[in-house]
Amino acid sequence: MHPLLASRARLGAYLLGWVPIALLLAGIARSQGWSWAEAGTLAPPLCLLAAFLFLSAWFLCRALPLGRRVETLGSHGAAWGLAAVLMGGIWAGLAWLLARALAWIPGLGALPRRVDIALPVLTGLGILLYLASVALSYLMLAQDRAVEAERRGAELQLLAQESELKALRAQLNPHFLFNSLNSLSALTAVDPARAREMCVLLSDFLRRSLGLGERRLVPLREELDLARAYLAIEQIRFGARLTLDWRIDPAADPALLPTLLLQPLVENAIKHGIAALPEGGTLVVAAEAAEGHVTLRVENPADLDVPTPQGLGLGLRQVRQRLLGRFGNRARFEAGVQNGIHRVTLVFPLETEP
Amino acid sequence: MKALIIDDEDLARAVVREHLAAHPDVEVAAECANGFEALKAVALHQPDLIFLDIQMPKLDGFEVLELLEAEGKRPAVVFVTAYDQHALRAFEAHAVDYLLKPFSKERFDTALAKARAQQAAHPAVPAPAASELAAAARQGKPLERVVVKDGPKVTVVHLDHLDWVQAQDDYVLLRTEGRNLLKQQTLASLETQLDSSRFIRIHRSYILNLDRLVRVEQDSKEHRDAILRDGTRLPVSRAGYQRLRELWEGD
Repeated sequence: MHPLLASRARLGAYLLGWVPIALLLAGIARSQGWSWAEAGTLAPPLCLLAAFLFLSAWFLCRALPLGRRVETLGSHGAAWGLAAVLMGGIWAGLAWLLARALAWIPGLGALPRRVDIALPVLTGLGILLYLASVALSYLMLAQDRAVEAERRGAELQLLAQESELKALRAQLNPHFLFNSLNSLSALTAVDPARAREMCVLLSDFLRRSLGLGERRLVPLREELDLARAYLAIEQIRFGARLTLDWRIDPAADPALLPTLLLQPLVENAIKHGIAALPEGGTLVVAAEAAEGHVTLRVENPADLDVPTPQGLGLGLRQVRQRLLGRFGNRARFEAGVQNGIHRVTLVFPLETEP
Repeated sequence: MKALIIDDEDLARAVVREHLAAHPDVEVAAECANGFEALKAVALHQPDLIFLDIQMPKLDGFEVLELLEAEGKRPAVVFVTAYDQHALRAFEAHAVDYLLKPFSKERFDTALAKARAQQAAHPAVPAPAASELAAAARQGKPLERVVVKDGPKVTVVHLDHLDWVQAQDDYVLLRTEGRNLLKQQTLASLETQLDSSRFIRIHRSYILNLDRLVRVEQDSKEHRDAILRDGTRLPVSRAGYQRLRELWEGD
């Protein structure tokens, strides 16, 4: 379907655009000695015919999309020229027929003769008008493409965000699960009561993480609960190697943040901090609220033998993207090693559920 | 039969210990919480069998195995790991056995039986090198660090700190932070493990960390030198120069 025919407003604007052309045509006819009646009767229907006839340019343009290469411009040019000559000829032919039809009206008897003389001019004019509508068609196609690209971009972004969340959920990492189950298997023999406790902790963690993955934004409180459930399990695995230090300001609890933003940070802290050090260390999770902003911090000892990474790992990059994607330049993300401590700091506006 | 249990988690060691308790002929000579302890304990106890975790601090299981091999010691190895099947498939044909955490008593006994069988069939079929196992488990991802054992001392060289490598017969000389380290490995085999976008073979005998390169100078028609940040000059062969140019033009 032609886009101009699909929308009444567009069609109206297009037809309105033909009015000055009709006036121009009538003006030219007058200058050639036509009477007002002759010029005024022929020009409007002729232009109306052209308006619909030349819409066909759009289909040609759609079939021959504009590329960057010069060769295509050459072959397209031939097609445009041929179509323009054809359409100009048809239009002139219609003018010839129209003139003969109108000649029945009293006072317009001279019209066929006048049109016969003007046929070459009409053909030329038709060619020019057709070429103009080719240009217009390409403009419309380009605009449509831009709109389409924008829509597709937005769709893709949405899709990417969703699959990212799914990936995050899947990331709840199988090694962690198998290691935990292995600890559980060890505990069943040496300490059945703690084995049961670990079962409960694992179930609690799994239930929470599954529930969270469905939502886009959650209050910090829930993210912290998930981290607590996770770290309680890691505490059993790592024993004395892991010390936990929670510094949570209750005022920060209701702050909304993208789902599963904290979880990769604590997982990283365990994987690259505690697990990489034979003696382990202290993991700090701190949240403060002040002046409408929340500062969330995760700290862990870093292995000093490992060179400081130059970029961010995939996990941290994702956290940063999601934080900035949600809050834009109202949020801040910092990560780095200082004095043997790896620290990730997130600062974002304190927004709560209505 | 003497065995070592090597795992950084107490509870994980406890599971192995518990299962071994049913086999009174196997003596647990020591338990180790990391790779360095493991190397010392192997030297001290000369075990017949080790239960080896893969993910450990400082030295991972493959690196421990590689260093043991360099010393000519190769006890039977049973990997005990939470690694997924996918990575394990790569080397399942080669290790004595592996136990995926968590495992059953039956599965553990099977692994132990295989280890016994291998010991009985001594000398065993030459196993593939630990570095090959590690490469298979990494699934084509480049190496992040190189381990070198010099007598009792183990050095872990992170590749950010590796300036260049020189071939010396069956050894490679690793230049890192002003020091030279010798490792028993061929330059060609090391080259296959390194990230080819960061480490370039500039000469038959040299691999260079691209990050250290300042410029290439042409001395004579046939002879080029690479000038490094610290002023070192290394020869660049014609083929090496070609590789450098491909990399530059690829950018």
